[in-house]
Amino acid sequence: MAEPAKNQAVDRTRIFYVPERARVMTTRQEPSATFVELGFEDGRPLNHHPGQFVQVSVFGYGEAPISVCSSPTRPESFALCVQSMGNVSRAIADLTPGDWVGIRGPYGRGCFPIDRMKNKDVLLIAGGIGMAPLRGLIQFICDNRDDYGRFMVVYGAKTPSDILFREETEQWTENPDLDFYRTVDEPDDEWEGRTGVVTEPLKEIDIDPENTIAAACGPPVMFRFIAMDLLKKKLPEERIYFSLERRFKCGIGKCGHCQLNDLYVCQDGPVFRYADLLKRTEAGEVWAPEKDQDTA
Amino acid sequence: MTAPENRVIPASNFTRFLEAIMAEQPVIGPRERPDQPGFYRFGRLARAEDFAPDYGTTTVPPKKTFAALREKLFSFTLDSPPELDLHFDSSPFVLLGIHPCDLSGIDALDHAYSQPPAEVRWTANRRRASLIGLDCRPDSYCFCTQVGTESNRNPCDLFLTPMEDGYLVEVHSDAGAALLEKADTRKAGEEDEAAAEQWRREKAAGIVPEFDAPVEKIADILEVGGLTPVWKETADRCYSCGSCNTTCPTCFCFDMVDDIEPDLSGGARYRTWDSCQLLDFALVASGHNFRGERWQRVRHRWQRKFLYLYRQFDRPYCTGCGRCSRACTADINLVDVANRLIAAAQKEA
Repeated sequence: MAEPAKNQAVDRTRIFYVPERARVMTTRQEPSATFVELGFEDGRPLNHHPGQFVQVSVFGYGEAPISVCSSPTRPESFALCVQSMGNVSRAIADLTPGDWVGIRGPYGRGCFPIDRMKNKDVLLIAGGIGMAPLRGLIQFICDNRDDYGRFMVVYGAKTPSDILFREETEQWTENPDLDFYRTVDEPDDEWEGRTGVVTEPLKEIDIDPENTIAAACGPPVMFRFIAMDLLKKKLPEERIYFSLERRFKCGIGKCGHCQLNDLYVCQDGPVFRYADLLKRTEAGEVWAPEKDQDTA
Repeated sequence: MTAPENRVIPASNFTRFLEAIMAEQPVIGPRERPDQPGFYRFGRLARAEDFAPDYGTTTVPPKKTFAALREKLFSFTLDSPPELDLHFDSSPFVLLGIHPCDLSGIDALDHAYSQPPAEVRWTANRRRASLIGLDCRPDSYCFCTQVGTESNRNPCDLFLTPMEDGYLVEVHSDAGAALLEKADTRKAGEEDEAAAEQWRREKAAGIVPEFDAPVEKIADILEVGGLTPVWKETADRCYSCGSCNTTCPTCFCFDMVDDIEPDLSGGARYRTWDSCQLLDFALVASGHNFRGERWQRVRHRWQRKFLYLYRQFDRPYCTGCGRCSRACTADINLVDVANRLIAAAQKEA
């Protein structure tokens, strides 16, 4: 018992910037991303909410915010799904089992509204790498299936080889717990599934607008079109949620990088209600391009 | 504590007072730059005589004492597993000679950084320091009266107003009272108080730039919007160099970077100041830049200083120090832009 006592003596508030060590348990190369499963040294769970992110350090390369793509209902480990975009994400993608990283977080007070979604129909829309944060929520709802009504998931990838979690998404197609719609923008010769952008299958889905909550994550360009389709289905703005991407450096609303008008995306989000985003001109993702940005 | 009476410390005693403090803890204060006579910066005083009480405004505000331009957060080894070593200095020091506007800047960052969860480096460094304020004479860029900081005393432990021979000393905290016990002082008389009051009157009278509307109106004007022409004409002149951010006492954005030892044994993570005017400030991994246009970055700075933080903390995030206008490589003057915004809003209405 000596060791834990020593750990508790450390005042974590004083060492805010110092990450905790975590070890890479497994990695898997997806065609356009890398899946990394991590565990803390002492085996404790991350204790995150679906939609939160962690700051991942690869020492010597730096730190990058990555959303957690696993569910807290499966606490033995936590997972990230990373596309090599920058210096740090490339280093994360190059990790192999046994490697060490640093973890700060989980961060974000704005998460997917798992309590508000209870007893409601849930519609999730993922575009591209946006599947990563939503996967944690999908697992969470599947693991608490009785708490939720109809469960619909729409996933759009650019090409068949860009589909993340291929095996798992195949299983979702068969899974009676959810209605899963998968589409690709650019099919190849072998593709037998749906073709078209993510809003195509969305158009087909009938929802009960009185009893549905929708959440989406994907590239900025996607949000506006999803919002238009959901509004056509009479879903109110305050029951549509978007998970936003910004450049989080500190994760606690101090460094200023993720500021969106009066909000800090890292702290007030990263998941926001569409109704709240509509009041912010800098939420460029949800505005029509011709909208004058110059009101606060 | 009950408000203690003001004291007077004669000039000759003041040097001894400083020496007594310096015998116990470092004193950081304004001193002339040896490489640039006539320019001043906050630095550790080697001797009491290094204190330059007549300094105008330093290029970089004293916030650097609590959040250094480049600050080591922790070091790490590149072993498996990596060993992390925390860097934290907790030794006390005195920050001397802070003008009312710069005290206001420290107050602004106290508010911003202490919002839970607090920014621990700033809050811990602040606890290390005793603050001794000093009243000043304005130059043509100063506009403290326009933002109400000309007589600000918060947060300081002692405050000095220059007099013919020495200073009138206001005691603002128990720590300040304890510090002043090292000094040979006398009770301030009516004449002394009148002299200090005269100093303040002359100071306020010396302020030249004026906002054409009260500062609280600027928040409303920004909120209503419709100011794109002003943002664009300002951005047409702006070089996005970030000098305004770097010299601003209320700017607190930062970046975090890793540095590696040349022998690859390990490295360290640093916290560095950052600037919202730089092109890549709001760039994300996918390549999208949320403020890719220069006018958007100019507007962002204004909205932050005079709208968002103003509403959050009920005070403008501007101290009237004039540093951004002094430092601007394109000669953009804050008060001038404010008045263009006010004029544009009046035209709209």
